[in-house]
Amino acid sequence: MHPGIQIVDALPQADRRLLESLADWCDRYTPLVALEGSDGLFLDITGCAHLFGNEKRMMDDILSRLFHQGFDARAGLGPSPGIAWAAARFLSPAIVPPGEEAETLAPLPLAALRIAPAVRAGLESVGLKTAGAIMAAPRAPLTRRFGAALLTRLDQALGRVEEAITPRLPVPPLSVERQLAEPVMLADDIQRLVGMLALSLRAELERRGEGAHVLQLALFRVDGAMRRLAVGASRPLRDPVLIGRLFQERLAAFKDRIDAGYGFELVRLSVLKASPFAIEQTDLAGSSMAVEEDLALFSDRVRARLGETALLRPVLVESHRPERAATFAPAARVPVGSIGRPRSDKPGPGPAGMTERPIRLFSHPEPVDVVAAEVPEGPPLRFRWRRAVHRVARAEGPERIAAEWWRDPQDMPTRDYFRVEDDDGRRYWLFRQGFYGTAETMPRWFMHGVFA
Amino acid sequence: MAKPAVARETVVALRRQIARIEGGLPERLAGSGDDDGLVLRHGPAARRETRFGSAFLPTGASSFDTALGSGLPRAALVEIHGGQTRDAGAVAGFALCLVGLLRKTGLAERENALCWIGTAEIFREAGFPYAPGLHRFYGLPAGDLFLCAPNETRDALWVAEEAARQHAFAAIVLELRGNPARLDLTATRRLHRRAQEAGRPVFLIREAGTAEPTAAPVRIAVSPAPAALRSTVSGPMAASIGHPAFAVTITKSRAAPAGRLVLEWNPDESSFREIRPENSGALVPASGHRPDIPAAGGTVVALRPAGTAAAAPGQPSRKQHPTHRRARRAR
Repeated sequence: MHPGIQIVDALPQADRRLLESLADWCDRYTPLVALEGSDGLFLDITGCAHLFGNEKRMMDDILSRLFHQGFDARAGLGPSPGIAWAAARFLSPAIVPPGEEAETLAPLPLAALRIAPAVRAGLESVGLKTAGAIMAAPRAPLTRRFGAALLTRLDQALGRVEEAITPRLPVPPLSVERQLAEPVMLADDIQRLVGMLALSLRAELERRGEGAHVLQLALFRVDGAMRRLAVGASRPLRDPVLIGRLFQERLAAFKDRIDAGYGFELVRLSVLKASPFAIEQTDLAGSSMAVEEDLALFSDRVRARLGETALLRPVLVESHRPERAATFAPAARVPVGSIGRPRSDKPGPGPAGMTERPIRLFSHPEPVDVVAAEVPEGPPLRFRWRRAVHRVARAEGPERIAAEWWRDPQDMPTRDYFRVEDDDGRRYWLFRQGFYGTAETMPRWFMHGVFA
Repeated sequence: MAKPAVARETVVALRRQIARIEGGLPERLAGSGDDDGLVLRHGPAARRETRFGSAFLPTGASSFDTALGSGLPRAALVEIHGGQTRDAGAVAGFALCLVGLLRKTGLAERENALCWIGTAEIFREAGFPYAPGLHRFYGLPAGDLFLCAPNETRDALWVAEEAARQHAFAAIVLELRGNPARLDLTATRRLHRRAQEAGRPVFLIREAGTAEPTAAPVRIAVSPAPAALRSTVSGPMAASIGHPAFAVTITKSRAAPAGRLVLEWNPDESSFREIRPENSGALVPASGHRPDIPAAGGTVVALRPAGTAAAAPGQPSRKQHPTHRRARRAR
């Protein structure tokens, strides 16, 4: 082998990532971008070409930009995906006008039909070497001998059969974008652009009677990289100011991770999910709605900045096991309307005649060394927790909580809970798992919570 | 008592200077009365909060109120300190008592939620808020609690500042552990300003932190205190654990004669009661079958030096029988 040849291992996954990043980049031309095999992209530019002048200019733009990024790209444009595929592979750069599919395809070799190599070899062995020969041959014997796929491919290329491409990303119902002559780098500039885009989005949302639930900001960098930032709103949004605030938090959270490089040249704001916007008439005081709206916006902003699970609300579950009875769920999934109950909700025993429960519960019960306990049933007299010995001054209990047989495994041990107070007045919630004397293993003690 | 004119002039000059530094009007710094010489400063919004009637919330324990001025400030940052992380139950519990008082006297139902913010670290170390217990002790329904547990102090401070603006919250609780570098005088000042503007208190709980310069007008050190016995129809129940009690020391206040108070929280009435040492016969009761109390206090260590604890009745003393400790540990 020639000594100058440099050998690099094939990295199919890296190639795939590169192709996906190119697909992201192609989002600037059309929202419908599909991956094709290991080296191709389908762009459905229906209704997009006029944004770049005409089809020719658009294709030239794509090819020249890719060339400057260092890619050797081929392009074909046609009325069906099949003919565009063939044109890109064999005639690049070419634009096939509607109605000329058959003439274009006829002189091309069989590989232009996207058929399996075995079928192609079979056809070539009987002397059919071009697509035109297949078109001229009678269809029934071809189908019988080489399968239906061959003629399906031919019909797809000729536009007789509709072929759908599978876009990578769902098409947003609404999106607005701005091409920039001078790339922007600063977060403040992006912020200002978001405000402008949101303003133009509002008119369209108003026309549809909708508000945005999920918004996405796509930032296209000069060198081809792109960044997507999404924010969710718990109630439909239209107001550009509010949308701007959500993105402000999102941008603040990503400040270090957004690499502006040489700047962004295209900024697009899309509505990924919209829902009907109910226009509510406020009462003259106009207070109650404002509180809930404020709270929803607060929760959205916290989520935009710190992530989906940043703001939590407790969820009560009918269960005897303390750690199961109350858990936390993201605030967005708990209806906001449930805040504020009538004032008559006096403190007292809970729903199921509940006895006293700690105010803080450890997420996992912490093992405790019980130095001395009143065997077999009593509370501990002294215990060591987090390396400090606590001497129990008083104790209440036990409260026996058995495993829930309908949910827990069979051998789940029963717990005896004690409310104890140590010499300094700290009040703890301890439990003993298992019994003394019944099983061969010694019972274990755990710290589960603290009282006020 | 009439003050000498010179002293009065000095006071006025100082006021003017303070007003210049703070960028406000000297009239806002007007004294509440010439008799006690106490100067109470209210932010512009605290003045506006006439819907509360007063800028202070009486807690019900008179000496505590006196030490705080005339009660808990409604529009201010209040720092609550705890000595150790394992005191977190008592320290957070005390803050929640104050929230309970506020909620009791609060206005609309919709504006009575609680936002509890803390770093993820403190909730791991000291436990997550437990809704059934909060309901039992403070009448706080699960729907009224918002919990935010970001990883970083910076984010926790940001959420607290934002939450202070929300009308849905009766109070904000911000819980931090140790002495984070970000929680400096500026940060507390920002929180205090937000609280003043919004007219709702921000409780800053500092677990296991030392006192630092702070903008909070009130700083309270809380430590656990033994609870009283449960009272029943036939008198106190022996060896029971009654309402939660807290040992409270006001370490910073505009009008604080410092002193240690023991307050008891009554969950059923949402009110405080002061337990005075002289009538605290039942504070630490001599119940029948309780374990022995160590003779000398001190730091709790894993291995107690021999001879400091009194021997249990009927057992030989440690000097006579030094191996008994080993035997007991083996159970």
